This record gives sequence, C-alpha cells and structure tokens, in this order.
Amino acid sequence: MKKVILTLIAALLVTAAAVGFKNVYSCEMPIRNRGINDAIKTGDLDVLFIGSSTFRANVDMPMMDKEYDGRVYDISYGGNQLVATSIQYDEIKRRSDHRYGLMVFELGPMMLTQEVALSDSRVIWDLSFEGKRELWESMYDAGNTDFPMMYEYFITSGMDDLITFPVTEPFYGTRYYKGAKTDETPSPGQDVLEREEFDISDKTLVEAQAEAVVNIIRKCREDGQEFLFLESPCYYRLQEDPTFKKYREEYIKLLDENSAPYILASDVDFDSKNAEFFEDMNHMSAKGRREYTAKLIGALKNR
Amino acid sequence: MSLISLPFFIFMCCFLAAYYLAGEKNQWKVLLIGNAFFYAWSNPVYIIFISISIVSTWYLMRNPVKKNFMLTIVINLGLLIAFKYSVNFGIRDLIAPLGISFYTFMTLGYAHDCYDKKIKPCESLPEYALFISYFPQLTQGPIGTYQEMHDQLVTYHRYDRQNIKEGGYRILIGVFKKLVIAGRVGFYIDTVYSNPKGYGGLTLIVATLFYLVQMYADFSGYMDIVCGISKMLGINLKENFRRPYLSKSIPEYWRRWHISLNEWFMNHLYMPSVTSGWNRKLSRLLGKIFTKAKKGTLRLIFPTMLVWTVTGIWHGAKSSYLGWGIYFAFVMLVSFCTQSYVKKLNAKIHWNPDNIFIKIFQVIRTLVILSFGEMIYRSESFSDMVAIFKGVFTDTRISGSEIAAAMVPFGNGNQAAASILILAVLVIAQAVIEIAKEKDEKAFTGHRYIYAFAMLTVIVLFQVAGGSNFMYQAF
Repeated sequence: MKKVILTLIAALLVTAAAVGFKNVYSCEMPIRNRGINDAIKTGDLDVLFIGSSTFRANVDMPMMDKEYDGRVYDISYGGNQLVATSIQYDEIKRRSDHRYGLMVFELGPMMLTQEVALSDSRVIWDLSFEGKRELWESMYDAGNTDFPMMYEYFITSGMDDLITFPVTEPFYGTRYYKGAKTDETPSPGQDVLEREEFDISDKTLVEAQAEAVVNIIRKCREDGQEFLFLESPCYYRLQEDPTFKKYREEYIKLLDENSAPYILASDVDFDSKNAEFFEDMNHMSAKGRREYTAKLIGALKNR
Repeated sequence: MSLISLPFFIFMCCFLAAYYLAGEKNQWKVLLIGNAFFYAWSNPVYIIFISISIVSTWYLMRNPVKKNFMLTIVINLGLLIAFKYSVNFGIRDLIAPLGISFYTFMTLGYAHDCYDKKIKPCESLPEYALFISYFPQLTQGPIGTYQEMHDQLVTYHRYDRQNIKEGGYRILIGVFKKLVIAGRVGFYIDTVYSNPKGYGGLTLIVATLFYLVQMYADFSGYMDIVCGISKMLGINLKENFRRPYLSKSIPEYWRRWHISLNEWFMNHLYMPSVTSGWNRKLSRLLGKIFTKAKKGTLRLIFPTMLVWTVTGIWHGAKSSYLGWGIYFAFVMLVSFCTQSYVKKLNAKIHWNPDNIFIKIFQVIRTLVILSFGEMIYRSESFSDMVAIFKGVFTDTRISGSEIAAAMVPFGNGNQAAASILILAVLVIAQAVIEIAKEKDEKAFTGHRYIYAFAMLTVIVLFQVAGGSNFMYQAF
C-alpha cells in the first residue's frame, strides 16, 4: 500500500508542477515568429495587428516589414473572440513599456456572434496567469463554463505544446513570420468556393463580445493609444450573406457610436469575387494575401 | 452512470465498503442491491424491462421444454427489437433500456444452455437476477455465461489487498486507453468522416487506421475498467480481447476481438445452424449446382451468412452495419472456401508460415481487409461510403501538400502528432509488459508502479476532458 500511495503522490507532484509551469511560465517560452512574447521582444512597433486567423492568413508580414522597417507584428491567436482581443491588449500593455504606433483590431462581423469560449488554445499559451484568469472570468460571466471546460482550460489545454516544444518549435518557427503565415497556400478553385456550404442564419449577437469592442476603444483612449478597426475582405458569397451584412452593420454602428476609426473591406480596392485570392470564405490564398497587403499598406498610409 | 465519472467513483467507494463489510451471508445481497442501484441511476423505469426479462426467463426455463424456450426467445427478442429498432418503425421517443443488447444475449444464452441440458436451471430467482444484472458487465459486456459466473457471484469473497491493487491497475490502463488514446484520435476521425468528400486519400487512410486504434482503445479500455472493477470484488470476468490486431487472418481476428460476443454467436447461432435440418437441405441444393465443392464447406455457407447478417443488424438497423456484416460474411466464406487451395499453394511455393516476414505480411493483410470493413461500418451514409472508397483508391497522391492536408484535422498540427508519438511509447511499454507477464507472472512487478505513475500523469495532463461515453454503449 505504501508503494501505491507513493505512486499517487509522485504523479500528483509531477502533474501539479507541469500545470503550474504551463499556467504561469508558458507565456515566457522562447517562441519564434508568433505570439505576444515574440511581439514584445521585437521592441517598439509602428503597427501592431491584434486579431485572429483572418489576420494570420490575410496580412503579408514580409511586405509590411519592408514598409515599416521591421517595426510591425501580427498577434493572430484571438480565436475570433473580441473578448480575447481585449485581454491580449491588456496583456501587452502590462508586460511591456514599448511604444506601439498604431494598433489594428479586427472588424470581423461574425466575431460579434461568437460565444465567449476558448476557441483557440494558443491564447492560453500566450497569456500570463493574470490574463488567463481574466479570460476565464469572462467565460464564467457569459455562463460558458463547467467542470470539463475548467479542466481543459487550466490543465490539458496547451500541454501538448509544452511537452513537444523542443520538437515542434523549430518546425513551427519556419511556418510563420511575425505572427502571420508564410506558406504558399493556393486557392482550391472557384468551383470549390462556389460549392462551399455555410449557414450562419442562426447566429445571434453575444453582448459580451460587443462590450469587448467598447472596452478596447475605452482602454485605447485612456492609454492614449492610436488604434483602428480593420475589416478584411471575405469571399463575396459570405459578404453578401444577409446575416453577415446584419452583423457588419451592427459592428459599424457600434464603432460609430463610440467614434472609433475603421477601414472597411470596401475602402480597399480588392476584388472579392476573384476566387484565386481565397483559400476559403474567410481566409486568403498566398496570392490574395500579397495583393491585399499591397493595397492595405496604401490604405493605412492614407488613413 | 458512466464508469469514468465522479458519481461512479463515489458509488464504487461506498459499494466496496458495504460489500466487504456485509459478511458471508449478505455479501451477494449487497451485490444485488448495488446492481439495482447502478441500473436505476440511469432511469428507474428501465428496471421494469430488465425485471420482465429476468423473471420470465427464470420462470420459464425452470422447465426447459421447447415451448418454454421458444416463449423465452419471443419475450426477450421482442423487447430487444421493440426498443432497439423502434426508430426504424417511426417510433422516436422509445429509449432503449441500458445494456438491453447485452443482457438479452446473456438471457438467451442461459435459456439455450438450459434447453440443451448443458446446465441445470437456476433454482433461485435472486441468484439468477444477480447473474443477469451484475453491474460491471451489464452495459457493454463481456457476455458472461451462467457456468462461469454463478459460483463466483454467490461465493463469499474476503477482502484481498492484492485484488484491489490489481483491479486498480487494470482500471488505470482502461482509463488511459479511453481518455487519452481513444479520445485524442477521435477528434481526427470525427472531422474526416463527417465530411469524407472534403479530404484526400491519404487523410482517409490515416483516419481509417486511427479508427481501428480508437475502436480498440475505447472498447478494450472499457473491458479493462470492468475487469478491474470486478477484480476488486474478487470476481474474474472473461477476457474479451487477445491482441486482435496481431491476427494473421480474419477468422483468427474474430476469435480474438470481442471474444464473448463471438463465442455467443458460435455457440447459440452458428453451430445450431450448421447442424440444423434446413441447412442440410439448402447445402444439398447447393451441392447440385457446385458439384465439385466439398460438402463440409457448403454446410458453412448459410450459417456464416446468417451469423454475419445478424451481427450487422445487432449493431443497429443502418445500411452501413448491414453492409459491414455482409462484407465479413463474404470474407469469411472466401477464407473457408480457399483454405485447402491456399495450403496446397503454400506447399508448392515452399511458403513457411513460421517465417517472421510472412507473419508480418499476414498481419498487415488482415489489417487491410479489416480496414475496408471498418470504412463501411463507420460511413454515415451510402454516398459517404462511396466517397471514402473513391478517395482511397483514386486520390493516391503522396505529396508534401497532401501530407500537410492530412495533418489538418489535428488542428494543432504536429504538436498533436508529436504527443501521440510520446503516448505510443507508453502503449508499446504496456504491450511489452503484458507479453512478458503472460510468459512470467513475476515479470515487471517493480516496474508496474513506475508505469502506473507515468499513466496517471499522462491521464491527468493529456486526457480529453468530458469524453467519458463509450462507443459500444450505443449497442
């Protein structure tokens, strides 16, 4: 029986140490080319994008880099959660004293309809324990927590990344550059994009996400931080969807009410009907990414 | 009540205490009460249906004449069909009582054995109820026989620390298989099989191989848990798996996978069919067409078809299950019919069956045949099945982008793959320990604690939270 108890205690100690390390120190792991820690290490930035996979796929960082002499970064692990974006903003401000010229947040209409949840476990890896607690509280306030979720959030989530870090980090480090994708993703072709089924008609507004937008605006103003919201072009079929249009208007109304600056997809001269430019409804192909980024640089300069 | 849940853990702690404190006279009564409590937890109404089955079978088989035997079959099969296949008759609100498939098999097996005079009918109703409702095996088997179970269930078991330790270790292995292995590969399989048209051949092959892993880890994991629980009570359950994926042929595979179910079919459906009059008549008819065929082989055709069709339908009234049954009937028949030719051919080409490379070839061949069957079984619809086969055979490019695409359902890409590799080390270590222990009971006694420590740590850190529903529960 003594051996059984010792086995249990040993397992408990090891797991507690791993969980503690993950929750407190994972945000300081030397990750290359993506995430908050790497963004902070880059130093002062002229432009900092904070968003989700859309920013990751649609912004070409080498082009941006050239334009801004390396003083740009793309934090793209918000998992379509404006709540997470708001917490990531806090995290950056808390952990660094650098100057951030312009912060660009994502104007993704459907982000307003996302349940407050852990939709990209990478967020966990990026946040300090304080940030994790803040995000958990937001999920709790939205009534989206239970025991399995808590277990996943504080114990299992991100554990893969931690244990396989020495093996996978060199590989991942080459797939991204300053938080954005570098791979040459092709378009699946017009046929596929035209056939792709999506149904967003049952989506409803999630108040917590709308509040997060207001919070971001408020915090930027309090900190004297220059900012804007950026809408990335989607494939035209999604843009023409009535539900999408409805939440787009909702988002714009919210920004107007709070006098927040924004750049809409229609403000950039980009052909949303060209299937060659898209990987799926939301994300651009490598060709689209470069075409869009060239136009976006102009729009940012002329804003 | 899931076997991997806090309520079950609390139930088990209380139950174990009551079981061992009850004393010689009352221990089996405590077990019976425990069974009833476990069963009622999911839905108290279910007790009515299992009671009908228990009481009617016990009463009728006290006098095991043909009429009573037939009546027992009608009552039990009637209940099974009514609950399990009611959806197919347009009745949607009838939820099947917990474990109805498994306890019906046990009941029918008991009735058949009584009728065949292989066993003496049980004289005590509570003892019979104890056998049918024994909670560890009630929901997913193994399908125990009366001969194996009765004496163990009514005998007094003293508290034995060794049984608790061995049972606990076995439970740990089961939880590891279920929550870590089956849970993790499950995500990949669900993603790919929910939209097979959207993935290339390589992804579909990977998903199918993972499905084999998931099925084994889920089902054998469950068996490890129930065997462990039973061991803690001092009762040994029948082993249901004997490393099935190392089988060298499909017939061998079915002797090593879900052993209790296949033995049940063999004893209560296949063998009676082979020796039945209708089969003799039908095989004589076939003999007139296939004049060169051996009589013995012809007599296996209809019983094989029958058993595999019933096995398919037993899983559910879905075309994919039926297709799966017919596929394996076909494979088994081909195997029977070509057996003698293959032996002659092997002798001619000096094929040595003991050669390790030939054994490896045979194992891989079995896995390939099995994978095709599982593709049929796992398909959501006929069109999905066609898409899967088409994808596997026509989209065979092995390029960098295809490999990258095959990784997409992991979501977290290589990190998940790397973690599975780490887990594979634990799985291989477990297999090595099991094989060594089969040869020498004392092997790896000290290492067991180290391995338990590693499994426990991995379960806590890498389990798929909330994934405590077992696949076979649905049947």
